[in-house]
Amino acid sequence: MRRPDELVDGAAHALSTRLAGGLTRRSFLGRMGGAVLALTGGAAVAAAVRPEQSEAFHLCGHIWTTGSCPSPMGWPRIDRQGYPLRPGDGRPIDNLGRLVNAEGFAIDSAGERLVGPDGEPLPRAPRTRLCEEWIKERYGLNSHTQGSWYRCCGNQIRKLVDCCSRSTRRINGDASLVGYCWNGNRVFCVMYYDSGLSC
Amino acid sequence: MVETFTPAVCGSRRRQRLALAGFAVGAVAASALVGAALGAVGAVLGTQLAFLVAALALLAAAREAGIVRVPLPQLRRQVPERWRSELPLPVWSVGYGIGLGLGFLTFQPVATFWVACAAAVALGKPLAAGLCFAAYGAGRALMAAWPRYGQPDPTAAVEGLARRRRFLLLGNVVALLVCAGLLAAAPTAGAAIQTQALGAGLDPAATWTVVGRARMNSGSSTVLLEPRDGTPIAIAGAAAPAVDGGLLAYDDAQGVKVINWRTGELVASVGGQVAKPALDWPLLAFVRTDSTYKRLVVADFTDPASPVERVIVRISAGNDLGRPSLAAGRIAWHKLTATSSTIFAQRLATGRRSVIARSSVFVLANPSITSTRIVWVRQSSRSSILRLRRWASPAVRGIYRTTGSTRLLWTTALTGRTAYVTRWSLRTGASTLVRVNF
Repeated sequence: MRRPDELVDGAAHALSTRLAGGLTRRSFLGRMGGAVLALTGGAAVAAAVRPEQSEAFHLCGHIWTTGSCPSPMGWPRIDRQGYPLRPGDGRPIDNLGRLVNAEGFAIDSAGERLVGPDGEPLPRAPRTRLCEEWIKERYGLNSHTQGSWYRCCGNQIRKLVDCCSRSTRRINGDASLVGYCWNGNRVFCVMYYDSGLSC
Repeated sequence: MVETFTPAVCGSRRRQRLALAGFAVGAVAASALVGAALGAVGAVLGTQLAFLVAALALLAAAREAGIVRVPLPQLRRQVPERWRSELPLPVWSVGYGIGLGLGFLTFQPVATFWVACAAAVALGKPLAAGLCFAAYGAGRALMAAWPRYGQPDPTAAVEGLARRRRFLLLGNVVALLVCAGLLAAAPTAGAAIQTQALGAGLDPAATWTVVGRARMNSGSSTVLLEPRDGTPIAIAGAAAPAVDGGLLAYDDAQGVKVINWRTGELVASVGGQVAKPALDWPLLAFVRTDSTYKRLVVADFTDPASPVERVIVRISAGNDLGRPSLAAGRIAWHKLTATSSTIFAQRLATGRRSVIARSSVFVLANPSITSTRIVWVRQSSRSSILRLRRWASPAVRGIYRTTGSTRLLWTTALTGRTAYVTRWSLRTGASTLVRVNF
C-alpha cells in the first residue's frame, strides 16, 4: 500500500502533467479567478435583488422585507385566531409541529393518536398563537396581531398579517417599519392566513 | 519555506505574497479538517478520554524534557521540491500548505502534535476541534511568513530561532504539563460532557450502584435492573422503575409495588389506577388517575401498616403530570396543558412550591432531581435538549441535545453528576438509554 505522501505526490504529478499539456499559466489563473468570482459574486447578486422585482420576497404576497414570525414548521401559516397550521395543507398542528385533533392530542395522518416509547398515547403539547405567545416568550415583547393586506396566491385569497409591537427592531434585527400597525406599534414579523376563497 | 516561495534574486514581492496566501489557506484548511475528523471520531467513541490524554501529555512532557526516549510516529519527508517547478504557483503553494497543515506527512520534531490529536478525539466535538487545529495551521503559515518581515535576511531569522531551541523546547515541556493538568481536572470541573448510549430501554432509574430501565417487547414491558457488582435482574410485566438503594418501585397491572430487588420481597404496594412511581423511602410518589382528574400523591410508609397519603397537585385528566421525581425532601413534576408546560418543585416539609421553568412555546417535561440539581427535557419542533440547573443557582444550561423527530428525548434520571435520558424515535417507537456525564 502506498504511503499517504506518495499518494498525494502522485496526484500532484498527474495534475501537473495535465496542466502542462492543456493550459497556459494565464488561462489557468483565468479559470481559477472565474470560479472564485462565481462563489463570491453569486451571493452579492442574490442580495441585490430588490423585493419589488420578486413575485414573492420570501412568501407569496409578501413584497416587503420583514421576516416571518417563528413557527413550528418554518412557514408562519395561521388560522383565524393566530394558531399554527401545517403550511402544506392547513391542518392544525401543535407547537412541536405535530398534527392534532380537536382536543389537541397529537395524531398521525390517519387520525390515530400518536404513542410514545411506552406504547401510551402522547400527552398534549402546547398549541399557542405565534404572535401573542411565541413572540412574547422568545423576544420579551408585548405583541399583537394588527394590520393586514390581501393578495391572490395559488388561486385563493391570502391574508398577510402583521405581528406588531413597540419594538423599534424587527425580527430581522434591523429597524422595524410601521407597516399596517397602529397605535404606535411597528411590524415585528409577518404571518399569513389562507382563506380558501377563489380569486 | 519563504525562500522556497521566492528564492534569492528571483521572484517579486507580489509573487511571494501570493504564495504565502496560498500556503496559509492550504495549511489552515488542512489542519482544520484533521481536527474536525478527529473530533468526529471522538464523538462516535463517546467515552471518557480526558484522563488518558492527560497521561499522554505527561509522557510527552517527559520525552521533551529528555527523561524518557519515545520514538514519534512521523514521515521523514519534506514537501516535494519539484512541485514548484512543475505546477503553477497557486497550486503548489496551497499544496505545500496542505502538506504541512495535515501534520503527519512531514517531520515531527516534538510530540505536541500527537497530544493535540488525542485531545481532539477526547473533545469529541468536530467544530471545536477543527477550530483549534486551524490554529495549528495558522501557526505553520506564520512560521512561513515571519522570517521575511522585519529581517533583511530571512535565514538569519530562522538561525536565530534555532539558537533559542533549548528555551523553546523548555516552553513546550511547560505547555504540555499545563495541558496535562487541565485535562486531568476537566471532567471534575465540568468542562467535558461525555455521552454514551447504553442500549435499548426507556424510563431510566439510577443510583450510584444500580441502573434500571424498562424495555418494551411486543407491547409488554419488562423492568431491567443492572447492579454494578451483580447479575442483572428482570421483572416481567413491570414498567416505570424507580430505585432507592436496595428498593425498587414499579407499576404493573395491579398498581404500584415496592420490592427489595435483591431478595424479591414485597415491601409495599398501592392498588388501583396508579402509575409512574418515584421513590425516596419511606416516601413513595405516584400518579393516580380517574375519569376526571390526575393526582400526584406522596405516600409516607414510615408506618408500613398504615401509610399516610398526601395529594400534592390535581389537574384535569386531559392534561399530563408526567413521571415525578423524589429526593432529599423535594418532589418535582411537570404539568403539560394545551397552553403551556411547567416544571414544578416542592419542598415536602414546608409545602413551598416553586416554578423551575415555564413555557408557552416549548414542551418542558420529565424532571429528575437530586439534593443539588434538577434536569428536565425541553422539546421544540426542531430539537430536544436535556437542561440542567443547580438548586442554588438560577442559571440553566443544556448538557445534551438531539435534533429531528427520530431522536427525541423523553424520561430522565439523575444521580450525582450523571444524567440518564430516554432517546426515542417518533417514527418507530424504538428507544435507547443515554448516559450523560457532566
